[in-house]
Amino acid sequence: MATDNTATTAFGEVSRVRGIVFEYLSFGASVFGIFALAVLLIYVTIDAFDLANANPLWLLTYFITLVVPFLGFCLYSARDPAVTRRALVAAGGGLVAIAAVFTAIEAFVGQIPRLNWPLAYLFVVIIPLTGYLTYVGAQGRAGSVGFGLIGRLLGGTAIGLAFTVLFLVFDARLWFLVYTLGVVPAVLAYGYGRIRSVPTAQTAAVPVAIGGLFVAVFLRPVVDTYPTTVFIYLWTLAVPVAVAGGFVVNARGSRTAALAAAGGPLAVATGVGLLGQPLGLGVGGPNALLVVAVAGVPTAVYLHRVADVGEGVTGLGLPVLLVAGALAGALLVESFGLPAPDPWLNGSFVTEAPSRNAREAGLYPAIVGSVIIIAMVAALSFVLGVATSVFLEEYTADSGIVGALTRMVQINIANLAAIPSVVYGLLGLAVFANLIGFGFGTAVTASLTLSLLILPITIISAQEAIRSVPDDLRRGSDAMGATRWQTTKNVVLPEAFPGILTGTILALGRAIGETAPLIMIGAATTVFSAPTSLFSRFSAMPMQIYAWADFPQAEFRYGVVAAGVITLLIILIGMNGTAILLRNRAEGEN
Amino acid sequence: MSNTETGTETEAETERQTSDSLITTDVETGSNGRATASERTAVAARDVDVYYGDEQAIDGVSMEIPEKRVVALIGPSGCGKSTFLRCINRMNDMIDVCRVEGDIEFGGKNVYDGDVDPVALRRKIGMVFQEPNPFPKSIRDNVAYGLKIQKFDGDVDARVEESLKSAALWDEVNDKLDSSGLDLSGGQQQRLCIARAIAPDPEVILMDEPTSALDPIAASKIEDLIDDLAEEYTVIIVTHNMQQAARISDRTAVFLTGGQLVEYDDTTTIFEDPEHDRVEDYITGKFG
Amino acid sequence: MTDSIESPDLQRRSGLTRLKEGTYGGFFAACAVVTLLTTIAIIATLLSDAVVFFSEVPIRQFLTSTNWSPNPAGGGQAFGIIPLVIGTLTVTITAAFIALPVGTLTAIYLSEYATPNARSILKPLLEVLAGIPTVVYGYFALVYVTPALKAMLFPEMSTFNALSASLMVGIMTIPMVSSISEDAMSAVPDDLRQAGYGLGATKFEVSTGIVVPASISGIASSYILAVSRAIGETMIVVVAMGAQARMPPVQEAVFGIPFVNPADVLIDSGMTITVAMVQIAGSDLTGGTLPYDAMFALGLTLFVVTLVMNVLSDIIAERYREEY
Repeated sequence: MATDNTATTAFGEVSRVRGIVFEYLSFGASVFGIFALAVLLIYVTIDAFDLANANPLWLLTYFITLVVPFLGFCLYSARDPAVTRRALVAAGGGLVAIAAVFTAIEAFVGQIPRLNWPLAYLFVVIIPLTGYLTYVGAQGRAGSVGFGLIGRLLGGTAIGLAFTVLFLVFDARLWFLVYTLGVVPAVLAYGYGRIRSVPTAQTAAVPVAIGGLFVAVFLRPVVDTYPTTVFIYLWTLAVPVAVAGGFVVNARGSRTAALAAAGGPLAVATGVGLLGQPLGLGVGGPNALLVVAVAGVPTAVYLHRVADVGEGVTGLGLPVLLVAGALAGALLVESFGLPAPDPWLNGSFVTEAPSRNAREAGLYPAIVGSVIIIAMVAALSFVLGVATSVFLEEYTADSGIVGALTRMVQINIANLAAIPSVVYGLLGLAVFANLIGFGFGTAVTASLTLSLLILPITIISAQEAIRSVPDDLRRGSDAMGATRWQTTKNVVLPEAFPGILTGTILALGRAIGETAPLIMIGAATTVFSAPTSLFSRFSAMPMQIYAWADFPQAEFRYGVVAAGVITLLIILIGMNGTAILLRNRAEGEN
Repeated sequence: MSNTETGTETEAETERQTSDSLITTDVETGSNGRATASERTAVAARDVDVYYGDEQAIDGVSMEIPEKRVVALIGPSGCGKSTFLRCINRMNDMIDVCRVEGDIEFGGKNVYDGDVDPVALRRKIGMVFQEPNPFPKSIRDNVAYGLKIQKFDGDVDARVEESLKSAALWDEVNDKLDSSGLDLSGGQQQRLCIARAIAPDPEVILMDEPTSALDPIAASKIEDLIDDLAEEYTVIIVTHNMQQAARISDRTAVFLTGGQLVEYDDTTTIFEDPEHDRVEDYITGKFG
Repeated sequence: MTDSIESPDLQRRSGLTRLKEGTYGGFFAACAVVTLLTTIAIIATLLSDAVVFFSEVPIRQFLTSTNWSPNPAGGGQAFGIIPLVIGTLTVTITAAFIALPVGTLTAIYLSEYATPNARSILKPLLEVLAGIPTVVYGYFALVYVTPALKAMLFPEMSTFNALSASLMVGIMTIPMVSSISEDAMSAVPDDLRQAGYGLGATKFEVSTGIVVPASISGIASSYILAVSRAIGETMIVVVAMGAQARMPPVQEAVFGIPFVNPADVLIDSGMTITVAMVQIAGSDLTGGTLPYDAMFALGLTLFVVTLVMNVLSDIIAERYREEY
């Protein structure tokens, strides 16, 4: 037997059938939930945009004018023949496969409701392919430039809009006084101290700011002439954004470029803000000024950087490509008289108030409510979360009172994270609404409750970020004779910041979808106008969805709610996407 | 503030009592030929014991470290030389279970006295670690770090330049002070850390195996630098490399297992004619 | 050498610097204390109103009565938690039937079979499952899942039912099981796997015979957490399961043995503890009434149950950490 070297089969064979079956079974389990969710998301998207009634030719038109050029751009940016080949095979093979499978199902099993093969092709092949090519394209120079530009345009617009929403409830005139008397002097003092190396001036910044705040609060009822809102926004928000942008460009390039990057958008914003309405442009007023400035300055700074680096400049054409594609598509659809679908999620849905009539129903007050609540939750949970995690990670001791406190807090946080959100609602109801008297369903009560709810998540992720800062750096700083706070401020927090920010944004994503605690504190399911103060009754996006889901009419169930769900999910994806981008960027730098 | 005179008297007493640490008082020249007319003590340890929990890491170490000299601490790994180094600027305070007994005097003041602020102490005693650990900031900000936290109100840029020159790094980085310290090579990073340590003008610089993570060429640059630094600073260096100790130090302290200081003498004496057989065995590579 | 160098100033700083350091430390400690205060406030608010409630309704009656109708409108008030417990158990057990096996298999796949590439795609996608707002899951259950089930499997299913809500709760809790279990499986030292392969075991035998048993306490702890999450889940059941507190219909099988057909419970509407709380909150928040206090009694029940489960899972998980 030992001499028989050639017969390998002498060992026999162990059956792998069970193992192979198990591997596929476990793979199936891994994708089961994802698959189920994907199917549901496809349906809700079809309903929100009324795609079931879309003419295939209509789809084809936009596919050719919008999607194909975009995919072409991604392939151009990737410059990888293998990717191009893969994309073509997937698109072509997918088309044949989907058509075949779909026809087979319809022939042998039955009609699939509200789905036809062009739509199936769109969701199963084109959208994943677009996602993949976007990812691959973003690795190339042109793609990264193009997506960076679009990201700044969209992100700036979103932040600008969020500001305008916040000023619905926060007093712009008080902000004007606080800014003029507190923020500006403090920044000037700090900047002077920094440039001239005068530490006392730097230290003075905080007392100056606090003093300015008090004076402003005192003066607010006394003074009764204020500039118009346009000028308040211009002075307190557009100008500082432009100045900051100018500094960034100045540090990198020439003074002229800095002036252009700061002044150009500022001039356009001022023009739109002041003259938009008189000239009948359709947009104008303070909000337009704010949005144009907040989106325009970062875009201008980015354009300067791209021009400066000189790589992937063609990517700057991406927005033009998309807008032109959309226009061309609209033109073709118009000229061929193709019937367009009538989406539930459209411009008026996000700008109108709820209504009993499904076609007129909108989400505007709920969006405003969500934005205001989330802004306050962000501020509160960021401060509390970072401070607590700094305490737990940097100020710990293994023994003594501090040690005991640390251990208690640490165990407690784990337990807090496991408490159901309804119970937090009861806490908010009993303490914030009833005991302290912030009122039922007000933004203040809601944001305090939600802040406590996401606090454990914020703390845990911030702790992870702080823990990932190498100990070497801490010891290096300690050995220089830095105090604990100096080490934390100068070394630990700057390193951990991207991670902390990512964790906080992800936690905010949890807060924006929470409904149960809002019901418990008596948030309104439906309000018909945007709130005007922090203490008026609020609704929020998930509350409105909850209310609509109860409506018996099919237009609400399959139309309006679907549009609400998609709006909420788009905002969520935007937030989480930003968080992931931040994280990848921070990882890329190290 | 305790009196320097009384401090020195007790010092002399301890010297006589400790047989292990023979200190020849008539040092004329260091091995590197540094003139040594009158030596003053920068750091003096007296019967220092260090415990990690129940385990003793340092056992009754007494030694005097003269000003503006290079003193090397050598010994096999785990002998407590790094632990001892970290006692001098109280970096061991960061370890909860670590307990230090005995006196370590810096400028005649016991650094373990209750009224001593470890933070203030570390501002007088710079430290360079085994792995280069520049902060993820610009080269300029790295060097200016100590100045910033001490609220230095002189000309920061001038001091940055001076420190980088002292660390023999200026010529390599003067045109890119704003680029990140992490972009430098390992040896440059270590010299940056040295520049960072000397910028606030400390009295003593502690170095914990500063070249062990570097290639030989980078290491030799650091060695040259240490030689220059001794013009102005007291340098205490832990090294596992005996040739290095022989090349750069004026005095050498040999720690052997159990955290005991076995012999402390002029480097030439240690390497040519050590008093203890165990030291000779260690130096000649019979163990360790 | 007798001189020592000039004695430097090593004195502890007094005044402003010290005050500044202390202020920062104190501020951080105060923020950390907020988390403790939150727990204390939760316990205090739950207890204070629950005590009032239990002085009106004896605990025994609360825990054993089979009728729940907090609104005084028709037929008088009754506060028996049993039907709510049955509703909660129905959802939890059904959800567990999905989440536990699927989650465990997912964990095994990710830890033992998946290529690094597949992992890097699957793991974030699984996290998405936990990130979708629960009200959206509830809407999916009500508007898409129920009609589909009705058309395909259960024609007599009611619009609000336990089954589709439970399915969604199950899907939502998959990542909870899979991520914690996967962590436990990844923590199993490779030596053990090598030992298995060395004995001629197949990958399947190593995965199920060595890795899973070795990480069993981590898996168990993930199960407990997932179940605890399902117990506290609110919006999915509120939207999709309806709000009818009912006892299951008992049938008589052969020899007069009472039995409940699970299908009857699943395809009908029901009420969980969380739904009961939301229902009261939707109608009465002024305080001082019995239903208002009942809400806190329910909250206390929920709090105690989830806390106990969390502590239990911690203890089990702690054990497995000691093993390696």
